Amino acid sequence: MIWKEARYLEEGGILGMNRRNAEYIMAFNPRSAFPRVDDKILTKQLATEHQIPTPPLYHIIEYHGDLTGFEKAVSGHPQFVIKPARGSGGGGIVLVTGRSPGGFIKPSGEVISKVDLVYHISGILSGIYSLEGLEDRALIEGLVIPDPVFAAVAYQGVPDIRIIVYRNIPLMAMVRLPTRSSDGKANLHQGAIGVGIDMASGKTLKGVHGSLVIEHHPDTGNPVSGIQVPYWEKMLGMASRSSEMTGLGYVGVDLVVDQSQGPLLLELNARPGLAIQIANRDGLYGRLKRIDLAPPEIFETLDSRVAWARESFKTSS
Amino acid sequence: MKHPAAVLAVALLLLSAALINYRIIGLGYPVLATAPGKAWQVSMDAYVKTDAKEIAVMIGLPSTYGERINVEEKIHSGALNFNLLRQGPNQIGVWSGTPGAGEEVIHYSATLLIRPRRSSKIKPPELDPYPATIGTESQLLAQRLAERWRNLEPTARFQAIATTAKGVWGTPPPSEKDLQAWSEIQRKHERPLAFQTLLRAARLPSRILRGLHLVESVAMSPLTWIEVWTGQGWEKFDPETGEIFEKSVELLPLTLGEVPVVQVSDGALPEVRWTISQQILTQWRMHLERIIRSGRFLDRWSLFHLPQQFQETFRILILVPLGALIICVLRNIVGFPTFGIFMPVLMALAFRNTGLIYGLGIFAGVVFIGYVVRRWIDKLRLLLVPRLSVLLTLVILAFIVFALIGSKLGLREFMAVGLLPFVILTMTVERFFVLIEESGARAALRTAGGSAAVAAIAHELIHFQSLQLTFFVYPELLFAVAALQILLGRYTGYRLSEVFRFRKLRRSP
Repeated sequence: MIWKEARYLEEGGILGMNRRNAEYIMAFNPRSAFPRVDDKILTKQLATEHQIPTPPLYHIIEYHGDLTGFEKAVSGHPQFVIKPARGSGGGGIVLVTGRSPGGFIKPSGEVISKVDLVYHISGILSGIYSLEGLEDRALIEGLVIPDPVFAAVAYQGVPDIRIIVYRNIPLMAMVRLPTRSSDGKANLHQGAIGVGIDMASGKTLKGVHGSLVIEHHPDTGNPVSGIQVPYWEKMLGMASRSSEMTGLGYVGVDLVVDQSQGPLLLELNARPGLAIQIANRDGLYGRLKRIDLAPPEIFETLDSRVAWARESFKTSS
Repeated sequence: MKHPAAVLAVALLLLSAALINYRIIGLGYPVLATAPGKAWQVSMDAYVKTDAKEIAVMIGLPSTYGERINVEEKIHSGALNFNLLRQGPNQIGVWSGTPGAGEEVIHYSATLLIRPRRSSKIKPPELDPYPATIGTESQLLAQRLAERWRNLEPTARFQAIATTAKGVWGTPPPSEKDLQAWSEIQRKHERPLAFQTLLRAARLPSRILRGLHLVESVAMSPLTWIEVWTGQGWEKFDPETGEIFEKSVELLPLTLGEVPVVQVSDGALPEVRWTISQQILTQWRMHLERIIRSGRFLDRWSLFHLPQQFQETFRILILVPLGALIICVLRNIVGFPTFGIFMPVLMALAFRNTGLIYGLGIFAGVVFIGYVVRRWIDKLRLLLVPRLSVLLTLVILAFIVFALIGSKLGLREFMAVGLLPFVILTMTVERFFVLIEESGARAALRTAGGSAAVAAIAHELIHFQSLQLTFFVYPELLFAVAALQILLGRYTGYRLSEVFRFRKLRRSP
């Protein structure tokens, strides 16, 4: 009975954890390329070299001695974000939306004093938020103002778009919408909603929240499906080029749509999760196999890769 | 099969199988390491009473020979001196001196290990000449009598000769005169020797043995039997009754050849009693006794040569890789979530002192206390290393509290808390907290439950005696474990948990 169930999964083209690790991550992602995606500063620098837009980098703080220069670095920027370069799960990220006489204003309206913020950065440098507990760097970058396209279906926070890319061909995508239960974070583990995207049109499909398939946002009540993701073709191109620049064969590309700057590369993930399959109600394995069978010439140019992907992974609904 | 991992796994499996085979076939290990071997306790008590000033009592003693191992000998000789005399294959105990007040009780006991019987290559014996005391005329008579069996197979020839002890000669019977002469020889030379002559005439090598029947019993006199070489092995029969002993009958020889089991210098035979009883010897002890006496390379490099207290450690350690294998299966095939990779195995090891139930309970208690404190500490924004140090201190404090409560309540399991792996506990507290923060309480509790279940399975496995012994005797089984681990490393199929996770996406007809 179990074997039968597993057979159905295979027929559904579902990618399992073991196969993802052995046949895609281990086979296509060289260890030496991991720092390029694990360190947000390196990713940003690489993206800049390859003309892939990212939120503007204001400043990097590497040593505790540099902390004194922090105020000068942000003096021209009323809004900014402080992030640990090697953080995970959104830990250690502080958003600043303005100034007040007491210090800096956070999105919640709470005020954080300069001393507290410097102490927070000091914590980042010491590795509080880095997964291995190693010393880390802090980066200060521009605050993303999300495009209003998802405003009706996002509860606070910034929705982002995850695109899985294999051999530089984008094959599956989803929008991650923050909810009240995810505390404004766009992480599916933490309660965010994943909404599949039709690769051909860039329109959203149904969503998944926890293990439930949903059609409406649990907090705002608005339908999550049928939303046209803006700059869709451009995003697919950015995803493909991001993957190309890292040298990783199997990668998750996280993008955001800024109100004024359009799509920006936020970060990359060398071990993207499998939940995207549930959001799209389709398997990755089937699509991965189709890429392996694709004619070699489609891999040659960016346009041919994106065009082939849009044509091949159209969702029939 | 072309994948190098598969090749390596097969090579390791073959290596493991080859070494085990060598031990079983070449070194005579039992096929099942836990198969019960037999141990016998043989005691001899002799009451010597004499008027002579000097006395010498010579008694045949069991020796380590072939499938028997003399594990332990105890000798009590009273006022007499004891000497061990080796006469060819025989081991004779000699008690000599002046008995106190004209009587003496001497005592001897041995613990014998009987290895499971297996056909081994025994060199066929030479056909010895006729016994020296048998005259030419008797030899001719024996040859005449043996003539009737000339065309039989050795085994049939032996059976026919043994049957003559019952007076059955078959048809036509030998002449009355020959039969009478034969009875005469038997009377004159004792039956065993007469039979040896007849067997010699029938060209069957034979030997006379005296000893004991290995069954729970008390014997006042030893048994005499004749062993006859029939080409494949030694067949045994009783020359008095003609009874042929089954292969399963175990006889313990004390002397070989024309040597009486008990001899006394001044002729007055002492009262001798043999007590035979089966003994329970732990399987560990049996393997130890056998291996420690072997000079073969693999035996000399056996774990049994380690001092006892280190052996104890290895009995447990040797099963840890098996625990890791279970974790591989549970994580990669079933999809159990666990804290850390080997944390459950380390927990399982630690539960040895506290027991599984108490161990899990204490573990849960410490993690819960740790979690509450960790949650509060989070506000302090401590750096990683000092933060973990604080948790470590907390864990140790919790241990102390548990131990003190244990001592007040008289609970040994609580006092043994100090042997739990505190570093693992500290890391578990931290991971538990991070998991609750990042993935919620449900995911964290599921992971905690998974860890506990895996720890319980690993605990039962690691402390399974028979398995410990098997791995201890055949450490090369670890190669097979490694092979399975390698094969699991190449398993790219679905995890059982994924069947449920992606159930809605499956494409069923």
